[in-house]
Amino acid sequence: MTFTPTELEVEGAQGGEAARDNAPPSPPASGRRLARAFLKDRAALACSVYILLVLLMALAAPLIVKLSGWGPYEFDQSAVDPDMAGLPLGAAGGMGAEHWFGVEPGSGRDIFARIVYGARVSMTIALSATVLTSVLGVVFGLTAGYFGGKVDMVVSRVMEFLMAFPALIFMIAVLSALPAENRQFLLVGVISFFGWPYLARIVRGQTMSLKEREFVEAAKASGASSGQIIFKEILPNLASTIIVMTTLAVPGYVGTEAGLSFLGVGVVPPTPSWGQMIASSVPWYAVDPAYFLIPGACLFLLVLSFTVLGDRIRRLAETGGARA
Amino acid sequence: MSEALLRVRGLTVAFPTASGPGEVVKALDLDLDRGGSLGIVGESGSGKSMTSLAIMGLLPKGATRSGSIEFAGTELTALRERAMRAVRGDRIAMVFQDPLSSLNPYYTVGTQIAEAYQAHRRGVTRRQARRVAIAAMERVHIEDAARRVDHYPHQFSGGMRQRVMIAMTLSMEPELIIADEPTTALDVTVQAQILDLLAEIRADTGAGLILITHDLAVVSEVADRIVVMRDGDLVESGTAERIFTDPREPYTRMLLEAVPRIDDEIGLLRTTAGEAES
Amino acid sequence: MIRFLLNRVAGMVVVLFLVCLFTFVIFFVLSPDPAVQVCGKNCTTEAIDQIRANLGLDRPFWTQFWTFLSGLFAGRTYGTGANAVECAAPCLGYSFQSSQPVTDMIVQRLPVSATVAIGAAVLWLLAGVTAGLVSAVREGRFADRFIAGLTLTGMSIPNYVLALALQFLLVVTLRWLPFPHAVPFGEDPVQWFMNFLMPWIVLAIGAAAVYTRLTRANVIETLQENYVRTARAKGLGPGLVWRRHALRPALTPIVTIFGMDFASLLGGALITETVFGLNGIGKLAADSITKNDQPVIMGVTLLAAFLVVVGNMVVDLLYTAIDPRVRVGSAT
Repeated sequence: MTFTPTELEVEGAQGGEAARDNAPPSPPASGRRLARAFLKDRAALACSVYILLVLLMALAAPLIVKLSGWGPYEFDQSAVDPDMAGLPLGAAGGMGAEHWFGVEPGSGRDIFARIVYGARVSMTIALSATVLTSVLGVVFGLTAGYFGGKVDMVVSRVMEFLMAFPALIFMIAVLSALPAENRQFLLVGVISFFGWPYLARIVRGQTMSLKEREFVEAAKASGASSGQIIFKEILPNLASTIIVMTTLAVPGYVGTEAGLSFLGVGVVPPTPSWGQMIASSVPWYAVDPAYFLIPGACLFLLVLSFTVLGDRIRRLAETGGARA
Repeated sequence: MSEALLRVRGLTVAFPTASGPGEVVKALDLDLDRGGSLGIVGESGSGKSMTSLAIMGLLPKGATRSGSIEFAGTELTALRERAMRAVRGDRIAMVFQDPLSSLNPYYTVGTQIAEAYQAHRRGVTRRQARRVAIAAMERVHIEDAARRVDHYPHQFSGGMRQRVMIAMTLSMEPELIIADEPTTALDVTVQAQILDLLAEIRADTGAGLILITHDLAVVSEVADRIVVMRDGDLVESGTAERIFTDPREPYTRMLLEAVPRIDDEIGLLRTTAGEAES
Repeated sequence: MIRFLLNRVAGMVVVLFLVCLFTFVIFFVLSPDPAVQVCGKNCTTEAIDQIRANLGLDRPFWTQFWTFLSGLFAGRTYGTGANAVECAAPCLGYSFQSSQPVTDMIVQRLPVSATVAIGAAVLWLLAGVTAGLVSAVREGRFADRFIAGLTLTGMSIPNYVLALALQFLLVVTLRWLPFPHAVPFGEDPVQWFMNFLMPWIVLAIGAAAVYTRLTRANVIETLQENYVRTARAKGLGPGLVWRRHALRPALTPIVTIFGMDFASLLGGALITETVFGLNGIGKLAADSITKNDQPVIMGVTLLAAFLVVVGNMVVDLLYTAIDPRVRVGSAT
């Protein structure tokens, strides 16, 4: 399964540990040093470049497609061989000057255009889900950790319940039961619904320990309201944890979206998504390997990039950039 | 006073840092007679704990040790790991600061006392080792030892845990016991009991004792000789009596003044921080 | 101890009840009218009404939910009079497509899913823990960094991509493995093994990567514990220090995660089973999703939730057996 909660849980536990050890966080002056350490790390740099490329691709999709000449929904029957059940003409799935990444068998749609537009869908969903989970996770985690008592008990119970849930199969069940309109919003909603407890749990724990610290006591003594304390004292101290956790969550969501689309409950055709492209390539994998290799490689590299990046950011946050 | 039990000369412990090796113990000399007791006193970071780990050959990864450590006529620095292992626990035993984290939560205290005995005495049956464990626990005044031997560390109180740690060292009848801040993690009332126990054991078994602490008051009860350390350097050494009545170095005097006494007035309590520089 | 047990069981019952309610709400309230689907083409309003009455869809929500719940425990009867159909407990209803009882469909496919899950679990535990140990021992050296690279790759490759790539490589190009087709173990064990090998590998790789990281982190952390230093100070040999004082504390948390992962895998590996055409619960779920066969999806969802919740509890109990701090009360 593409989305194993334990994976996030493990990362979460480690990330949380790291940030806790690191408190109090290093002064903002170290920002430049962090950036320098980051730039020296070639793997992290390569990953960022790839992610930026995909982001750019997603943003400028219509422009890029104009350059390459074929739209994502245009059929090109001249590129496939009707006598061979619609297999693309030419080597490597019909790659060439006309169709850069070849064409889909059968319909002859341009794979490059569909990859570019697929990036749009995948990135939008993954990033929106990340934003939504982060907001939910931080809000609930902060509230539970700061106010404690009954509020904490209710939030904690809900989190336990959601984490004990078989998330993937439930997402599938929900998505298959609900109507197909606005699938993209539904996807974001469902992913976030099951995703937020992993961040909230860590934010809660850290808030609980931050709450006892002297500077919070001091703020309280000088008459600051709960809101002021939360936003001015606690939230800034949670920043590094939140950044690390969200970076580590993105690859999970990219994979989840692709997996759900692969199973046919994600993005609805003809809108392209990478997972869905791979799903439609299954019957062709033996005769036209390029058809699954291209979206497969794009997806793998994107998930890998986010994972490596998250890993590096966490390590930087742990060491404060001192040794890197 | 007879022959020397421990003779340390020019002991240096260094860690690699970004700016070359950083020495945490610098050319330290120590002497301990058989059955004698030595207090090593210093603030945290003075290198006292590293000294004890260097003697045990248990320095953390990356640390380097040079100089000479002669124990009962044997040069420890020349020993191979296997031979050093035979010395560790059997002839030199160690009591650590935090008894809870120093005991493995997954095993009964009996198992943990017995495993040292079994490691050093070939062909010991489990039953024999268990008897030794119970005897050791009785010796450190743990009541109902025959039943408590099967309990886990978390079922003991802090003071009792430290007694277990001491029992662990006792089972081997070592010639030297190194106690690294043995009372720091304990309540004041329990501290005195543990110190009494250490003194009692020393008197009974004739083992030498090195007591490492930041607290001169602790040392005063147990040690014959005292070594004061600061930033890896030896500041002053001498008999306990002499150090307490006639400290020669300003730093020692300052440490002494930091010890609260009944007749102190509140205003006279001093901290070590600012004074050290003057 | 008994109170702890009762607490756990009560918690489990609550979670399962909520899962039932959740699933029920989603399938019978939010989704399109099931009666229309059962009826199929050429349907009249009367026929739909008849089906609604048979399925009990004309009754209030809580009545329906109660019937569903009691069906799970005591069985239920569909329709009335001569047309009545007895559905024995645990009754999950009938498939809209094949009209088979959902419970039977699931039970039939359980062995395949179990085979897939057990094989994969053995593989990922062995590979993950071994690689994690090697990494921890060689921390910072080449082997550690090499394994770290492998785990990042393993964690990042979506399993359907891996499945297709493996099939293309091993079956189509290299012809090392035969084209996957199901054979019972008794008939041809070698073929049976070959058939399951790829699914096992595909499922194991991602989990193995996670377990490698976990093992490595735990072992490195445990080696820094004070009690490991104590063990060394006692003069124990490195073998004993490792086996007794480092491995047991380091590997205990892995039991927790393993129980959860294994339980969720038992409930069907949707993607892997679909890609390799294995007739397990996962494929049943995937097929039902395509056909919008709600009772089956619901049955599989409930089973998965049940397995996860039970797995969770088994792990908790197991934990009390291996961690003395949980087993015997607090300090005396």
